[in-house]
Amino acid sequence: MQIKYKYLIVILGTLAAVIVSFILALVHGSTDIPVRTVIQALFSAEGDLARYAIIIRRIRLPRIALSFLVGSGLALAGVVFQGVIRNPMVDPYIVGISAGAGTAVTFAIVYNLSFSLFYFSTIPLFAFVGALLTVMLVYNLARVGSKIPVMTFLLAGVATAFMLDAVRSFVMVLGTQDLQRVVFWLMGSLSGSSWADITMILPYYLLGLLPIIFFANDLNLILMGEESAHHLGLNVEKVKKLLIAGATLVTAAVVAVSGSIGFIGLVVPHIARLLIGPDHRKLLPLAAVLGGVFLMLSDMLARSLLPPLEIPVGIITALVGGPYFIYLLRRRKSESW
Amino acid sequence: MIEMLEIDKLKFSYDDKNTIIDEINLAINQQEFTAIIGPNGSGKSTLLKNISNLFTPDSGVIYLDSKNLNQIPPRKLAQKMSVVPQDTSISFNFTVYDIVMMGRHPYQGRWGQVQDQDREKVEEALALTDTRQFRDRDLNSLSGGERQRVIIARALAQDPEILLLDEPTSSLDINYQREIFDLLAYLNQEKNLTILVVSHDLNLSSQYCSRLILINRGRIFAGGSPAEVLTEENIGQVYQTEVKVRQNYLTGRPYVVLMPGRAECVPTRLQQDFKIHLISGGGTGQELLQEFYERNYHISCGVLNQGDSDWELARRLGCEIVDIAPFSYIEESDLKRNREKIEEADLVVVSELPFGHGNLKNLEQLTGFSDKKIFLLQERSIAERDYTGGQAEKLWQQLIERPETRVFNDRQEMLEEIAGRASSP
Repeated sequence: MQIKYKYLIVILGTLAAVIVSFILALVHGSTDIPVRTVIQALFSAEGDLARYAIIIRRIRLPRIALSFLVGSGLALAGVVFQGVIRNPMVDPYIVGISAGAGTAVTFAIVYNLSFSLFYFSTIPLFAFVGALLTVMLVYNLARVGSKIPVMTFLLAGVATAFMLDAVRSFVMVLGTQDLQRVVFWLMGSLSGSSWADITMILPYYLLGLLPIIFFANDLNLILMGEESAHHLGLNVEKVKKLLIAGATLVTAAVVAVSGSIGFIGLVVPHIARLLIGPDHRKLLPLAAVLGGVFLMLSDMLARSLLPPLEIPVGIITALVGGPYFIYLLRRRKSESW
Repeated sequence: MIEMLEIDKLKFSYDDKNTIIDEINLAINQQEFTAIIGPNGSGKSTLLKNISNLFTPDSGVIYLDSKNLNQIPPRKLAQKMSVVPQDTSISFNFTVYDIVMMGRHPYQGRWGQVQDQDREKVEEALALTDTRQFRDRDLNSLSGGERQRVIIARALAQDPEILLLDEPTSSLDINYQREIFDLLAYLNQEKNLTILVVSHDLNLSSQYCSRLILINRGRIFAGGSPAEVLTEENIGQVYQTEVKVRQNYLTGRPYVVLMPGRAECVPTRLQQDFKIHLISGGGTGQELLQEFYERNYHISCGVLNQGDSDWELARRLGCEIVDIAPFSYIEESDLKRNREKIEEADLVVVSELPFGHGNLKNLEQLTGFSDKKIFLLQERSIAERDYTGGQAEKLWQQLIERPETRVFNDRQEMLEEIAGRASSP
């Protein structure tokens, strides 16, 4: 009974957090808008409200939605990678996704390859393609026959990321006049996001989500060790590949619009696991919501701390997430997660 | 007797070069309790991994209930066969109940919806393994033996016909070893479970199993009842060690007693007591140092210049060194330190070092010892190595004429002679 009770508290608490942070994120920004006005502006754009309606509906709302999407995507991918690799020190960027995206974007910015295609900027497209190509490369480097040994995968990812970062730095040196834009992208930011961004990444995001939902329970078996999972009747290699593909797709989609926002994919899965345990059927949804809330609030801070200046949200997540993570580490007593 | 498992001409290798399993034929009947035993690297674990479909054989077929095991879908296979792997560590905090419930995976739907039957089977498995009291505990808070029982409970929850275990007691204390094997025997007798266990523990296997398969170098060396397999001759051949086989009067089963060896390796260790003082330089002592080191002699080195390549090596090998600054001449105080080492040594060896005015004193000093054993190596004549205008050659001749000196024109011959002296008391 006590366990059921605990779940209820967690679910209610999370729900409350979503609502509160949603309202907070709507209210705060470069200019604060009173709660009453915010609610009115959501439903009507008449008279005095017209100005607020634009701010709320066209600027803040898409941005809040996107921050939730990005945060939850990173947290989900983090949970999946930590599960598949059976190592709680892993984050979604470990397999070179951010390095690949970063390098592609740097190329695009420095060599002026970015232009507007229909309504879309091509920068996210470059990030997305760069991320996917990198993971495919890492995947093939790590492959032994038809198997992907987890350690090789991890090491191939780290090595590839280092090489790509070197290439990126080199390109940055060549293109000093664009340095600021590149650096800003690398720090991760949600500024200037619109509904178009969301519609652009949503298909990939949802596609990536499918295997994650589908194999949530099988991920529990993989935590028992790959051999054990095999003996329990799981086609381990297949499930592993699909899960990695799904998490990669989600991360690539997210990186495309946000740049590499660090720490969410590492810290949020931990917090969620602490709250609800390692069962992925419960862990994945909770991590998704917490990740969303975390980034929603971080982005709110990024917008409103030093108006009119906007702080890259990656700085906030790292500054908030880092100390909390260290606190968790110090508090940890047992060897397991 | 109904055949449960049949292995037909199984071959397996990790790569093309090393054959791990070199044709194994074996049939396991229903309700047998069989142990696969054999030395490290004999292929017993690999055999188990082939049987559990973790590896696919290079050639040959394994039949489970007359069906080719590799063609049975994973879920179906998991309903018939469960496996307790060697490494059972889990680094995430699942409760014991959750873990045992995972044994129901082959019967459950996509998201692991729990049916009444699943609950019943899990409760039964928990009861059989006496792990009910740990139900809500984290696996990692349990002791090794308790944890192993939980993993066995998970395997039982699969409701298998055959249970495979890879070294289930390898890291456990004897009380837990007994506990685990008692449990297996109970499952075998009361629950009609066919059990195949890989073990390196000959005595445990002998006391509990009805049949032993002794594997050596990827082949079955012997198979049958413990009394048939565990003979002094079989074990002597496979393990290359001398044992005595006695009978446990309580169980009537054989047990293997290790004989403390006469241990041929011990004298080499004692050769630490044999002290050699080496006079060398300019790299001429390197091979000798290496040889002496590998033969475990106690080595000290005669007056060497710091930075000399012999000095470098001697320092790395941890030898005692009497040394002087680079390019400096040997002084009286250095000779005094050197004398102490020579006096301690059982034997002085002089390599074919070139002599100049800097190190001539090394040679001169040796002529002062009248009854010290000295070996001179002379593959190259002294004249070629004398840069002192004949002084070194004269001293060398003087040394050769001593009664306790021996000259070797062949390095190997000298090393053999030293080995002879070192091992005689």
